[in-house]
Amino acid sequence: MPAQVAWGRTPLTEALIVRGLNKTFAKPAVSDLDLTVHAGELYALLGPNGAGKTTTLRMVAGLTKPDTGEISVFGIDARQDPAGAKALIAWAPDEAMIYDRLTPLEYLEFVAGLWSVDPALARTRAEQLLAQLGLADEARRRCEGFSRGMKQKVALAGALIHDPRLLILDEPLTGLDAAAARLVKDMLQARVDAGCTVILTTHILEVAERMADRIGIIAGGRLLAEGRLDELRAKAGDGASTLEDVFLQLTAEGASA
Amino acid sequence: MSLFKPAGTLWLLAHEIRLAWRGYRAGRAGKGPGALIGLGVLFAFACLGGVLIALAVHGHEIPITPLSIIIADLACAVVLTLMLSQTLSASAEALYERGDLDLLFSSPLDPRRVLLVRALGVAANVALIFLVFVTPLLLPSILYGHPAWAGLFGVLIALALIATALGLFLAMALFALIGPRRTRTVAQVLAALVGAAFFLASQYRNLMGEAASDNLMVQIARSAGDGSLVLPPLASLPLQAMVGQPLPLLGLLGVGVGLFWLAANALGRRFSDAAAAAQGASSRRARGPAKPAGAFAAGAFKATVRKELRLIGRDATLLSQVLLRVLYLIPLALVLARSASKVEAAALAGGAGIVVFMAGQVAGSLAWITLSAEDTPDLLAVSPTSTGVLWRAKLVAALIPVAVMLAGPILALAWFQPLTGLLTAIGAGLSAFACAQINVWHQKPSKRADFRRRRGASWYATLAEFLIAGLISGATGLAVAGLTVWALLPLIVAGALLMAMRRSGDQIAKTLRMAS
Repeated sequence: MPAQVAWGRTPLTEALIVRGLNKTFAKPAVSDLDLTVHAGELYALLGPNGAGKTTTLRMVAGLTKPDTGEISVFGIDARQDPAGAKALIAWAPDEAMIYDRLTPLEYLEFVAGLWSVDPALARTRAEQLLAQLGLADEARRRCEGFSRGMKQKVALAGALIHDPRLLILDEPLTGLDAAAARLVKDMLQARVDAGCTVILTTHILEVAERMADRIGIIAGGRLLAEGRLDELRAKAGDGASTLEDVFLQLTAEGASA
Repeated sequence: MSLFKPAGTLWLLAHEIRLAWRGYRAGRAGKGPGALIGLGVLFAFACLGGVLIALAVHGHEIPITPLSIIIADLACAVVLTLMLSQTLSASAEALYERGDLDLLFSSPLDPRRVLLVRALGVAANVALIFLVFVTPLLLPSILYGHPAWAGLFGVLIALALIATALGLFLAMALFALIGPRRTRTVAQVLAALVGAAFFLASQYRNLMGEAASDNLMVQIARSAGDGSLVLPPLASLPLQAMVGQPLPLLGLLGVGVGLFWLAANALGRRFSDAAAAAQGASSRRARGPAKPAGAFAAGAFKATVRKELRLIGRDATLLSQVLLRVLYLIPLALVLARSASKVEAAALAGGAGIVVFMAGQVAGSLAWITLSAEDTPDLLAVSPTSTGVLWRAKLVAALIPVAVMLAGPILALAWFQPLTGLLTAIGAGLSAFACAQINVWHQKPSKRADFRRRRGASWYATLAEFLIAGLISGATGLAVAGLTVWALLPLIVAGALLMAMRRSGDQIAKTLRMAS
């Protein structure tokens, strides 16, 4: 029985609740961070380089141990029951987590095995995903000769093979050409429409502006602002018409605070 | 000096040396003084051996006779094949390892200069390995009455240059003949065969059976003794060079430098073309129309075993190392099979012990790779599969090739001597499991590409593997010889040693966290 969280809003309406999260390496990377991501929304986490985005997401994915704080994934306390939380999550970093000497199909077989997906279902899903991502012809080629974009697509297929309820993507569009980026964006939107929750970080503000239901802006390990684009505009005040204006204004304020 | 100018040969060489030195320093970072102390002790022992040799040979000169010439020639041939095994492998790898190759070839640098410097690196590496072994043994004799024997250093350098040139020619010939996709694997396998060539040649009597004549050295000694040995021209050149005769030494060095220069100059352009063609060429395309995918493995355990076996099967370097051990086992298997049909079980004790020792060593090497060489540790960490399941799967994946490798010798033994076969199988199983388990407890995670050599393993884990495999091997030998009670003693010591190496899951997890 997964460990249920008693704090906060009704847990199952929230995909992710983070409270008082702290992590310090040589200096504080994440400080007293609170974050709430609603189930079924696409949430964009934005911030300048070194803001603490990746560290935050790594803690949520169970890859980095927080110093203090609480993380709940669909009501499951991720620190008490990491396996229960991980069963619902997929994590895709900017560097594709794949094996050069495996073919995409072999890789997907392995990932499906890790999440204990039924083999027949996994095989069907693998073929569908590779076809959707334009990799059907490369399904039996080893990944070692693939371009960075192709490797990213294989990794994305790996993240989707177990049909996660919470998909965490760190810079998912890095290395993709325009057509591949469009393909990935469409796939992510389709997942969100089907009820999956997506959290992504990106430096391409246009992507966040167009796709995200809500946006969080983080700098120096602290959440500076969170909300829909219009809410962020209002918070940034006069003169901030685009997300870029909002982002630059809020991060500048955050830096001087 | 113009050579030291930017983009000059020496400038490029200095750049390579700096990178190599920093790579060495990075590899040493985090290692305790234990390995250094161990090396120091080994070096001291070697020096002691060298001093004893110097005392024994003081006042004696090496006679230049047909027998000593043949021995020197054979020694050179053995060293040359061992060096060639390494240079062939290194030359093929140089084509595939990108490193800064793309940067160098995209610059206006002459490709011949790039190859010359890379080849110098290969030659220096090979020469250093032999010089490190020879120097402590030879230096005391050179200092104590035989300064001319320093010629042996020159011979080793000449052989390293010749081996590098031959390695480059062979690698490029393979590339031209079989293409970039297969060259890497074939070169590694060929290197293993070349490395084992002299061992196999020396075992021809075992391979061919009783009908084969006496061994080679006995025949040579007999011919030299009765004066019927006719030496080919220049056969005495290596020995004369070793004992410091200037002209033969210069001649041998001249041959080495000449061949090396020829290879670097003739192959420079081809090397850059081949390196470009090698990039991404190793991805294998499915033949014919796409077939439906085979059944996926069910569950994390099976999927991980399957994945690890695939990765082992596709690692040319690892395969060549396993192949080398298989080659060493072939004569032993034949001897065991022949003897088992004729002799008492006790006579098979040594052979059974070797099989058991080999099982531990190969299992340890494979488990080291499957457990510590992981390209996507984060993927495993984010999955809900417990680390225990993953470690067990990786352990099993390491043991399967060992079982396949040893099935032949053990079955041959069991066919004629069932009890001996059973005892050997149990010993091999225990030895393999114990050595593999040590690698579960002492993981050192890193990328697979960093695992070209085994030097990353902790020295005490490697030593423990060696000792435990040796103890279980001894116990098996004793049991086969009928000394069952005596066999318990090494088994108990091996068990105690294994328990001393044990680490809890929390301790392993802590080590892995620190490493990441």
